[in-house]
Amino acid sequence: MDSLDYSQQVRDRFERPANAGRLLGPVISGAAGEEGLGTRVEFDFRLRSGTVEESAFRVYGCPHAIAAASWVAENARDRRLDDTSWMDPLRLAALLEVPEHKLGVLLVVQDALEAAAAKFDQSEDR
Amino acid sequence: MICSKDIIYMDYAATTPVDDRVARLMCECMTREGVFANPASRSHQLGRDAQGRVEMARHEIASLLGASQTEIIWTSGATESDNLALKGVAHSLQDQGRHLITSKTEHKAVLDTARQLEREGFDVSFLIPADQGRVTAEQVAAELRDDTILVSIMHANNETGVVSDIASIGKLCRERGILFHVDAAQSAGKLPIDVEEMCVDLLSVSGHKIYGPKGIGALYVRSCPATRLEPLIHGGGHERGMRSGTLPTHQIVGMGEAFRLARHQMEPETHKLTGLRDRFWAGISKLGGVLLNGHRDARIPGILNVSIEGVEGESLLFALRELAVSSGSACTSASREASYVLRALGRSDQLAQSSIRFSIGRYTTEDEIDRAVAIVAEQVHRLRGLAPKTPVTSDREAG
Repeated sequence: MDSLDYSQQVRDRFERPANAGRLLGPVISGAAGEEGLGTRVEFDFRLRSGTVEESAFRVYGCPHAIAAASWVAENARDRRLDDTSWMDPLRLAALLEVPEHKLGVLLVVQDALEAAAAKFDQSEDR
Repeated sequence: MICSKDIIYMDYAATTPVDDRVARLMCECMTREGVFANPASRSHQLGRDAQGRVEMARHEIASLLGASQTEIIWTSGATESDNLALKGVAHSLQDQGRHLITSKTEHKAVLDTARQLEREGFDVSFLIPADQGRVTAEQVAAELRDDTILVSIMHANNETGVVSDIASIGKLCRERGILFHVDAAQSAGKLPIDVEEMCVDLLSVSGHKIYGPKGIGALYVRSCPATRLEPLIHGGGHERGMRSGTLPTHQIVGMGEAFRLARHQMEPETHKLTGLRDRFWAGISKLGGVLLNGHRDARIPGILNVSIEGVEGESLLFALRELAVSSGSACTSASREASYVLRALGRSDQLAQSSIRFSIGRYTTEDEIDRAVAIVAEQVHRLRGLAPKTPVTSDREAG
């Protein structure tokens, strides 16, 4: 697979990224990465009793970063934010057919999710 | 207009399609009814016919450059021409000196050859263009040494289209008795070139950049005073001993016709391309955060290199896949590294990564330009809308 040859799932999520945008009001947010280094990921989660009711993401990054953040935002729904073990970068890489040299991008996505989880841990809503 | 998989071709700086008139002439030199014989076979009429076609083509190359027919050496392309010029001079004149000057924004064909010469013990000064991508005579003068044997500066840059003041650098080199090589792969047929007026001693050109075939190029080698070159390829003594190997008649005839057409069409084509380029720039610059790379005025009309703020380079290139464009030069874009040319011009890694080279040519239409502007606008808005820095305007921003 060359650098611009993406899997169908990456193409679909790049073209129609589910949950892209920003949530306002009382939300838990998490971010990781830097635009200057090529990838920046931000998540917003609206919770009810610690469970994700609504989610949104923003990404500056390659198509793999966009697809991965979209997948995480979508799959976080109805899960507790204090458990992020379901987000396994290697399994997600296999699912999206992300090449090995791009695994770092998925780690940034994971870091953004865990940053939100850490904020939740410290919040009064817990 | 080029219709291929509904993609708008905007990569003329990488290569051009062969002009129909060129292709027809080439076909006459391939099959048994045509001029297929070896041009070196002067013992029979068929060989002499082929030699005649080769010499007619050589005349066309010389005419476009203001050179004499005997000063044109056929090669496999501009990369080989650059190699022959740099290594040929260095190996021939190494007893007189071992210092060369070039710039950091040259094509890899010059840069990698210069680095090879460094490995062989030569000393190379790499200039960083001072004037928005232009190398100046003053910069070259500051680096000249008693042991400098060659200066190599490109005419038009392949990534940015920026044109350096070749005539001033040539005059300086001539005054100091130092050979001057110019890579003119991007400028031949697009800008007037006169090797006499510009004081150029060696000049590389290619067929496929101006609607001729790939796999053929030429090196102009000044004959008076004679320029000594150590050949790279031995065997047969073709091309005055400087480049052996059977001449590919069909490719040479194609390149000759392409150069003839370019000479006759240069003025109207320049006018047309300048208008299309300005139309495209007017369209995409309205997006905001679109930065022109390189000198605003000293440039060839067919290339527009821009950095687009707020979008990541790989996503931008993929989002623009309805356009055949390059990220950096085609020769390096496979590596996905930030363009070394744009980095040398002072662009950050991030902006260099988010740069696109749009290059237009003979078959580009106004309709294609307008469609391309619409595609760029739509995709840049979309990608910027996904990015973290998007301002908040509603409860949920659409992605």
